[in-house]
Amino acid sequence: MYKLRSRFSKNGDIIFISHLDVMRVFERALRRANIPISYTKGFNPHPIMAFATALGLGVSSDAEYIDIQLDEKIELYDFIKQLNNALPKGLTIIESSYISSKEESLMSVIKRSVYLVNFKLKDAVSKEDIINELNKFKNLEDIPLEKEKKKKGKRKEKTIQIVNIRPNIYGIEVFSLEERNAIIKMDLAAGSVANLKPEIVISKINEHTRLDIELDTIRIHRIKLFKEVNGSFVTPLEELKTL
Amino acid sequence: MNRLEIHDILFKVEKPARYLGNELNSVHKEVDESTVRFAFCFPDIYEIGMSHLGLQILYKLLNKQENVYCERVFAPALDMEQEMKENNIPLFGLESRNPIKAFDFIGFTLQYELSYTNLLNMLELADVPLYSKDRTKQHPLIIVGGPCAYNPEPIADFVDIVILGEAEEVILEIINAYKKRKSEESFSRRDFLIEIATIQGVYIPCLYDVDYNEDDTIKGINPNTEGIPKRVTKRIIKNLDDAFYPEEFIVPYINTVHDRIVLEIFRGCARGCRFCQAGIIYRPVREKGFDRLKGLTEKLLENTGYEEISLASLSTSDYSKLDMLVRHLIDEYKGDRVGISLPSLRLDNITLQLIEEIQKIRKTGLTFAPEAGSQRLRDVINKGLTEEDLQSAVKKAFSLGWTSIKLYFMIGLPTEIYEDLEGIGQLAFKVLDAYYSTDKEKRGKAINITVSASTFVPKPFTPFQWEPQDSLEAIHQKQRFLVENIKNKKITFNYHDAKTSFLEAVFARGDRRLSRVLAQGLKAGCKFDGWMEHFDFDRWMQVFEECKIDPTFYANRRRDYDEVLPWDHIDVGVTKKYLIKENEKARSGEVTVDCRSSCSGCGVNKGIVGGIC
Repeated sequence: MYKLRSRFSKNGDIIFISHLDVMRVFERALRRANIPISYTKGFNPHPIMAFATALGLGVSSDAEYIDIQLDEKIELYDFIKQLNNALPKGLTIIESSYISSKEESLMSVIKRSVYLVNFKLKDAVSKEDIINELNKFKNLEDIPLEKEKKKKGKRKEKTIQIVNIRPNIYGIEVFSLEERNAIIKMDLAAGSVANLKPEIVISKINEHTRLDIELDTIRIHRIKLFKEVNGSFVTPLEELKTL
Repeated sequence: MNRLEIHDILFKVEKPARYLGNELNSVHKEVDESTVRFAFCFPDIYEIGMSHLGLQILYKLLNKQENVYCERVFAPALDMEQEMKENNIPLFGLESRNPIKAFDFIGFTLQYELSYTNLLNMLELADVPLYSKDRTKQHPLIIVGGPCAYNPEPIADFVDIVILGEAEEVILEIINAYKKRKSEESFSRRDFLIEIATIQGVYIPCLYDVDYNEDDTIKGINPNTEGIPKRVTKRIIKNLDDAFYPEEFIVPYINTVHDRIVLEIFRGCARGCRFCQAGIIYRPVREKGFDRLKGLTEKLLENTGYEEISLASLSTSDYSKLDMLVRHLIDEYKGDRVGISLPSLRLDNITLQLIEEIQKIRKTGLTFAPEAGSQRLRDVINKGLTEEDLQSAVKKAFSLGWTSIKLYFMIGLPTEIYEDLEGIGQLAFKVLDAYYSTDKEKRGKAINITVSASTFVPKPFTPFQWEPQDSLEAIHQKQRFLVENIKNKKITFNYHDAKTSFLEAVFARGDRRLSRVLAQGLKAGCKFDGWMEHFDFDRWMQVFEECKIDPTFYANRRRDYDEVLPWDHIDVGVTKKYLIKENEKARSGEVTVDCRSSCSGCGVNKGIVGGIC
C-alpha cells in the first residue's frame, strides 16, 4: 500500500465544476490513466483518495491537494505524466510525493488558506484610500456574521447564531489596484476546525468600510494552502514524516 | 464566427458545468464555408439529455463525417434562460458557443410528448421562426426523430423534416444530398425537401394536406405535390454488427440521470405487450454479436474510465447470449471494479444466478414490472408472466439477501375493473409474505417494497391505439382506492400525476390542429411540462379553450377501426390488420406468444425486412 500526496491546480472553465464533480473526474481519469489505485471494500467500491478542502464553485486555485492510495508503486514522473494526460484541461498535477502511511489526513491538518480576490469598485479610489479602509477593517475587534443553524433532529426549524469572524482573518492587503479594479490578498482560516470564505470577508468589507464593491464581479483564486507544524505554517507537501 | 461571451453568466447560474461544452470526448472542429453545421438539440435539461443513447450515437457518427460538425444543445434551465435573455445571448451550440440560428440543421430528438413546448421555446431562444412556412433560405432546416416522431402531426407545422425509424443511415443520406445543394445559387428549401421526400424513412409534413370530416375526424391525408409517396415507411438498420456505434461516450462532469456506459445489445422486442409502443415501432428483433460487444466494451471502458456498464435493450433477459456476455464482463473487468447493470429484466426468465454474480462487484436494487394486478388483466395486455413467476423470483431474491424490491404497475388499462386494482395490493402483500417466510438467517434486514402506479396512455401503432384513456376523475378515484388499499409500513406506494398523463395522451394521438395549441401554450408560458414544479394544468386547459379545441376528443374518445388516424400515412411495418387482431384478442383475454416461438404475422417481415425476421 502506497500513499501519494499531490498538489494540483484548477483553472479556466473547469472552475465551474463542483467538488463532487472533481472527485468523479479524478476517479475516472485515474482509471483511464491505468494507475494502480486501491479501492474501498464493500458494495460500492471507490478509489481510496482524499482531498484537502472542498473548493467552492467558480473558485480557481493553484494550491489544491489530494492523497491517493496505490496498490503498486509507480515512478512519480510517470504518475504525473499519465494522470495529466487523462485529466481535463484546467486540472493539472503540479508536484507529487510519496508520503508515510502515518501522515495525518489532509483534511485534518489544513489550517489556513491564502487567496487573491479580484473585484470592481463602483468608483475609482486611490491606493492610500483602499489601504486605509482595509486597515480600519482589520482594526475592528468584532466582525459579526449571522449564521443559520439547523436544530438537531428538526429539519425545518432553524436558529440564528452570531459569530465573530475577526479571529479567522490572519491578513488582508492590497495586491494591486488599477482604477476601479482591485485585487486583495487574504490569509484566512481554512480546514475542519475553522473555515472562512473570502466572499464573506468581501461582503463584510463592503458593509463595514466606505469601499463600494460590485459584489457580482468578485473572482477568487487560491494561491496557498497551509498546515501547521510546531507553530509554523507550511504547505502539505513540506515537513513530511520520513517514509 | 466568434464564441459568445458567457463566462460572467456562468458565475450566476446553477450548475454552470451544464453549459461548458468541453467534456471528455466532446468534439471541437475548425469551421469553414463548406462545413455543414448540425445542432443536436435535446428538449430538456443537460442531465436528462446527456443520458440519451441516441445523442451519443448520432453525435459521434455525424462528427466522423468530413465537413460535418455536430454540436449539442440542451434546454437551458430557467435561470440560464433568464440570464441569456437579459444579456441578448441566443441559443448556442455548446462546443463552439456559436448561435445555432446560423447552422444548417437544427435537429430535435422527440422522446416525450410533454417536451414539445420546450422544442418551441428553444426555437424561440434561438431566434428562429417557429412555423416552417415562415422560414427562408437563410434559416436552418428543422429535423426531428425519435419515438414520438412516429406520430409527428401535433408538431407538423413547425418542423421541416421528420426521420422515421433508425437514423444512422438516413441522416447521412439527407446531409449528403444537402451538401450537394448547399452551395448552389438557386438553392430552394422546397425543392430540397421534395428531393429528399422519396428517401425511405423521410417524411416531409408540408408536402401533405389533411382534410377533416364534419365530426372533426380525419377524412384523408394526401400528398399535395407530384411524385411524393402516399405512405412513408420507416427505416431500420438491417445488420447491427455493421452499424456505427461509438467507441467513446462524452463523459459529463456533473452527475446525470444515467452516468455510465450504455452498451446496446439488441433492438426490437419479441414480446408484444399490447400497451407498448416501443415493442411495435422498433420491430424486428436484431441482436448484436458477442464479439462486437466484447470489442466495443473494451474500447468504451478505455476511453471513458467509467465504473459501470449498462446492457441496454427493451428486454435484456431475452438476449440470446446474455449469460456468456455477463460472465465475460465479470471475468474481464472484475479487477477494475466495473459494475454491470441489467435494466429491463423480465421476471419469468430472470437469471438470478447471473445477478448474484454481478452483485459481488456492485450492488443494485431489483425492479419487476407486472404492469397489472390480476392474471386476467395481464393476459389482456399480453404481459406473459404469472404470479408464480413473481413469487419464485422474489423468494429467491430475498434468500440471496435483497431487501429492496420495486414493482411497477399501470392503472387505467383497457377492461380494468376494481378487482384488478385489488390485485395490485394483494401482489405487494404476497411479496411481503415471501420475505417473512424466508429463513431469518438468509434474508436481509429492513425490507422495503415500492409499488409504483403510472397512468396508462394509449399510443399510436399499438393494439390499444383506438382505446379511450380513463377520465381524470376515474383515474383519481382509482388512485385513492389504491392508497387506501396498500397501507403498510413496509410498502411505499407512489402514483404518477394523472394530469400529465392526460396531456401526454392528447399529444400522443394528436393531429395537426394541435400545432396551434402548442404555439398558444408557448405564448402562455408553458414549458418544462414534464417537471411537476413547472407543469400548470389549469393554464393548459385555458389554452385549449382559447384555441377552441377539446382535449378529451384526443384522450378519452374510443375510435372506430375504420376511422382515419392522424398517423395512417406512416408505415412502421406492422399492419393495421394485425393491430386490430391483437386488440380483439385483448378483449377476449387471449395471449399471443413471443414472436421467436411462433410468428404471429405482424407484417414487419413483408414490407421492411423481406423474408424471415
